[in-house]
Amino acid sequence: MRQTNHDEVTEKNVYTDVYRLLIAGMLASTIFFVIGLILALLHPQSFSLSADWIRHQYQWSVIRHGLATGDPMIFLMIATVLLILTPVARVIVSIYAFFVDGDTKYVVVTSIVLGIMILTVILGIFGVQ
Amino acid sequence: MNYSLSFVFSLLGMACVAGFFGALLGVGGGIFVVPALALAFHLPIKIAVAASIVSVIATSNAGGSAYVEQHISNLRLAMFLEIFTTGGALVGAVLALFFNDWTISLIFSLLLAYLTYVSFSTRNLDDKRIAENTFTNVKQDRICAYLQLNGSYHDVAAGKDVAYVVTGAPAGMGIAALAGLASGLLGVGGGVLKVSALNRYMNVPMKVAVGTSKLMIGVTAAVGAILFFMAGLIHFMIVAPIAIGTTIGATIGTTVMNRLRSAVLKLIFSGLLAYLSYAMFAKALELAFAIHLPYAGR
Repeated sequence: MRQTNHDEVTEKNVYTDVYRLLIAGMLASTIFFVIGLILALLHPQSFSLSADWIRHQYQWSVIRHGLATGDPMIFLMIATVLLILTPVARVIVSIYAFFVDGDTKYVVVTSIVLGIMILTVILGIFGVQ
Repeated sequence: MNYSLSFVFSLLGMACVAGFFGALLGVGGGIFVVPALALAFHLPIKIAVAASIVSVIATSNAGGSAYVEQHISNLRLAMFLEIFTTGGALVGAVLALFFNDWTISLIFSLLLAYLTYVSFSTRNLDDKRIAENTFTNVKQDRICAYLQLNGSYHDVAAGKDVAYVVTGAPAGMGIAALAGLASGLLGVGGGVLKVSALNRYMNVPMKVAVGTSKLMIGVTAAVGAILFFMAGLIHFMIVAPIAIGTTIGATIGTTVMNRLRSAVLKLIFSGLLAYLSYAMFAKALELAFAIHLPYAGR
């Protein structure tokens, strides 16, 4: 038979938090994608498919200049970053919600997932180019 | 290349179709986006994989949120299996950075061949099998019992609450890791592997399996996306129309899926998947040995 979850009321809070976060992330990234696309179409520019050209867009000097001039590429970059960060934020919010509920087991389980994400960032910084 | 209106709309249109077909077949858009970008738009495979993985997050956010709102996704189960999908995705994404383009094309071709088989062999399965299942009458394994993995959801079609007890943790963990590996290496969601594992081995009703898998895909894909982003493989100009297009396509596809699902539909998709498998194999031969087999878009 089905076991009763130890606290269904508080678990509903986790669902609500996760739902709101996913919607917020989706809306925010879509808005930036649409602004960036419209600007890019109004001011057509050439781009390359080479890895060097793409990496050039990541440089702080290029980003700063882009922010100052309203470069469409910056809007698209912000949209992409927001999109990638939404699941990360979802994991962090879940840890907090499980913590508030006093659900230690799932604080540990979810923290392991966050740990793997942090490991990915560390690998990205130090190892993989 | 110039960022023209026609280029943006051709990418957007392709992504819409890919997202739509993906949703109809019960897989993400990635399985169609990567071959389309590589074969029709002639993008380097790694840029195609990186663009696809970002669009996979977009469709997961959109689809996953709907399932979470209706409490169909099982959050605890998702969190537990995400340990293995993200671990697999990290290994897969690192491999993607080191593998040659032709190796990735070849592995993608094999995945498509497998999906052709799955789509063809399950074309006559219908919801009756799921309706006949009893989801509470199983003995839990120790891991699932310790993690209190069970739940219930309201099935609108059946008009009742369906309770279930989760079991089969070892099989679920193994397949989740494999799905994560495929996600990181090939830029797909890996949903088809996860859904079948949850439903067949872990005693999870089909709708919960789909909703839980959809939610897990975002976190899994984020790991690959973070690594590709930091390695400088994400092309924002290409990602934008793909992410928007697949989300629109997948949303429409999910809405009409229940009305359209049929054996004939799966048969048609089997043919499409078989062709894409062949075309990606041809692409791999071309990249590795300069052997030119004919395929559309070459």
